[in-house]
Amino acid sequence: MAAPPRHSTMLSISNAGTSQSTGTDRTQVPQSSSPAQTSGLRVPSNRKTIYDRHLNRSRNAELSRASFAYLFGEMVTYAQRRVTGIQDLEKRKDTPSASVCSTYSSTAPPPPPPPLSPAPPPPRLPPNRPLRILSLLHLIHGPLWRLLFQRAADALEHSVSAETPNEYMITDNDPLVNTYISVPREMSMLNCAAFVAGIIEGVCDGCGFEAKVSAHNQPTEMWPSRTVFLVRFGESVMEREKVLERAGVK
Amino acid sequence: MLSYQSRAALDVLIPSTPCVLSPHSQLSKMSYYFTILSPTDTPIFNIAFGTSKGGGDGIARFRFPDTAQYMNQFIIHSSLDIVEEAQWTNGGMYLKHIDTYPPATAYISAFLTPSGARFLLLHQPPQLPSSGTSGSLGSSSLLGSSASTTRASSSSVAANPTSPQTEEAIRQFMNEIYESYVKTAMSPFYKQGMEIKSPVFRTRVTAAGKKWL
Amino acid sequence: MSTQKASRIGEEIWKTRIDKVNAELVTLTYGTIVAQLCQDYDSNYQEVNKQLDKMGYNIGMRLIEDFLAKSGVGRCANFRETADMIAKVGFKIFLNVAPTVTNWTSDNNQFSLIFDDNPLADFVELPDDGRAQDELWFSNILCGVLRGALEMVQMQIEAHFVSDVLRGDDTTEMRVSLVRYIEDEMPPEDD
Repeated sequence: MAAPPRHSTMLSISNAGTSQSTGTDRTQVPQSSSPAQTSGLRVPSNRKTIYDRHLNRSRNAELSRASFAYLFGEMVTYAQRRVTGIQDLEKRKDTPSASVCSTYSSTAPPPPPPPLSPAPPPPRLPPNRPLRILSLLHLIHGPLWRLLFQRAADALEHSVSAETPNEYMITDNDPLVNTYISVPREMSMLNCAAFVAGIIEGVCDGCGFEAKVSAHNQPTEMWPSRTVFLVRFGESVMEREKVLERAGVK
Repeated sequence: MLSYQSRAALDVLIPSTPCVLSPHSQLSKMSYYFTILSPTDTPIFNIAFGTSKGGGDGIARFRFPDTAQYMNQFIIHSSLDIVEEAQWTNGGMYLKHIDTYPPATAYISAFLTPSGARFLLLHQPPQLPSSGTSGSLGSSSLLGSSASTTRASSSSVAANPTSPQTEEAIRQFMNEIYESYVKTAMSPFYKQGMEIKSPVFRTRVTAAGKKWL
Repeated sequence: MSTQKASRIGEEIWKTRIDKVNAELVTLTYGTIVAQLCQDYDSNYQEVNKQLDKMGYNIGMRLIEDFLAKSGVGRCANFRETADMIAKVGFKIFLNVAPTVTNWTSDNNQFSLIFDDNPLADFVELPDDGRAQDELWFSNILCGVLRGALEMVQMQIEAHFVSDVLRGDDTTEMRVSLVRYIEDEMPPEDD
C-alpha cells in the first residue's frame, strides 16, 4: 500500500473539526473540545467501555478450551462454506470480501484470519520494539507463545541453506489448535495451524517485518502433530537487516 | 462542553487577545499539539491543548493563531524523517525530544508503538510577554478559568522543553495514551489506519494532558 | 436443586474438570468471527445476527453432550431449575461467568439472564456507523448456543438479547422463553 501524501491528508482530517471556528475568533479555539470529530457511539452510564477496563485484566484469565474449539470449528466451517464453488467466488468478486475470498482460495480452506493480526499484544510483551529479526523471533518464540499457549515454542531455527537466508523455523511439538480441534475429515489438520501462522504473520507485519508464514505438519514418532512454522522474511527486511548489522544495532 | 462554548464566546468578544494570561504565569504555559499517525503516516487522531499544571487553563495558544493548525502539522511532518531514522536504531518506544523547529520555537517529542504507530507531540512555549498589553490583564479576569493562574508555576514541567523533568512528564503522558491506544486497536472492528473517533479516547487524552503536562 | 447448589457445582467443575486456554485467545477469535461476518455481509447486521445465531445453534447441539458428561447433572425438575443450570453451571464451565437469573414471568416460562461480565465482548467497541449500536447483537451466538443445546434435551426455547453494554445500555440482558417441551408432543397420529 502506498503511503498517502503526508501533508495533504493531515490537513483534510483536522480541518473537519475546526472549519467552523476560523475567521471570527482570532484566538485559539480549544480543539480538544471540538465536537465535529467525535463519534456518535453511546456509552453506558456506568462507564463500562473498553477504556475503563484494565488492560491486563484478562492477561491471566482463562476460558474453557472447549469453547475455543467450538468457536474455532465454526470459524473454519464458515471459511470453508464461503468459498465452496467457483461461481460463489465469482459472484463475490465485487464485494468487500473479494480480497478475503481470494486469500481463502489461494491457500485452500481455511485461511489464517487476518483480522487477528492487527490486535497488538505488545503491552503484555516486553516494552521494546524489536529491531532485528532475531529479537523479533525470540519475542514470538517466547513471550507471544506463552501469552497464547502458556508455554514457549519448542524450537527456533535458521535455515541452513545459503540460498534461503531469509527463512526461519519455529517448531511446536504439540500445537494446541491441532490437539483440541476436530475439524471435518476432509480438511487436513494442517489447516488449523494455519490460524497460528496467521497470527505470527500478523505480528511480524505489525512490527515492520514483512513476512510470509506457513505451517507444515512434520510428525515424529513421539510428536504426531509436530508443526513447523516457516517464516520467510521479505527482501526489504533482509536489506534493512544488513544495514542494521553494519550499524551495530542489536 | 458548556465551558468550551462560553470560552469560545468570550474569545469572540475579545478578538485581539493572543495573550490572555497575566505575564508572569504565562512564562511556563505551553501549547501542545498531539497527533497519532498510522504506520503509513495517515493521521488518525489529533488534538491541541495547553498546560493545565500550575493553574494553566488547558487552552492552546500557538504563536500563529490563524495558521497554527497548518503550521503544527507542517512542523510535525517535517520531523518524520528523523522519526523514521530513529525507528530502526532505537528499540525503545519513547524516543524523547527528537526535533526542534527554531522559527516557531517548536519542540517535537516522539513515541513509537511496536506496531508502528507514531505518537508525536509538538510543544511550544508561549511568546515572551514583550508585547504584553495591559488589555490582556483585564481580559484574564473575564475568563473565570484563569483566576487561579497566579499560583506559583515552579511545579510546571514545561518550563524547559528539554529538561529531564519534561522528558519524564511526556513519557508518562505518552505511556498513558499508549494504553488507551492499545485498547482501541484491540477492538475487532478497528482496522489499522482508521481514524480514532471515540469520544472516550479523546477524553482520555485530554485527561492525560491535564495530568502530566 | 437450589441456585446456590448449582453455583457450587459450576465452581467445582470449572476448577477441577475443565481444560483451560488463554481467555484472550477465545475473545479475539470470537471478535474476529463477528468482524469478518460484518465485512462479508456488508454491515447487514440483521443478517450477521442471524448467522451468529446459526453458528451458536450448531455449537449448542454439540456442546450439550460435553456439558452433560462434564457436569453429570440429571434432568431438571422444572424450567426454573433449568435456568439455574444454564446460568450457574453451563455458562460457568464454558465462559467462566455466572449470569444472574431474574425477571421471571408469573407462569415461570420466561426469564432474563443478566451478564455482569461477558468475556466475548472484552476489548470490543462497535463500529461507529450510526447503525451497529442499534442493530447488531454482538454476542448473539450465545442465543443460538442455548437454543441448540436445549433442543437436544427436548426443550424448544426462544432467546434474544434485549440490552447490551456495547450498545450503551447499562446492562447486558438476554431474554429466554420456553416455547414447549418437545417430549410432551404426542406422536403424530395421522396426517
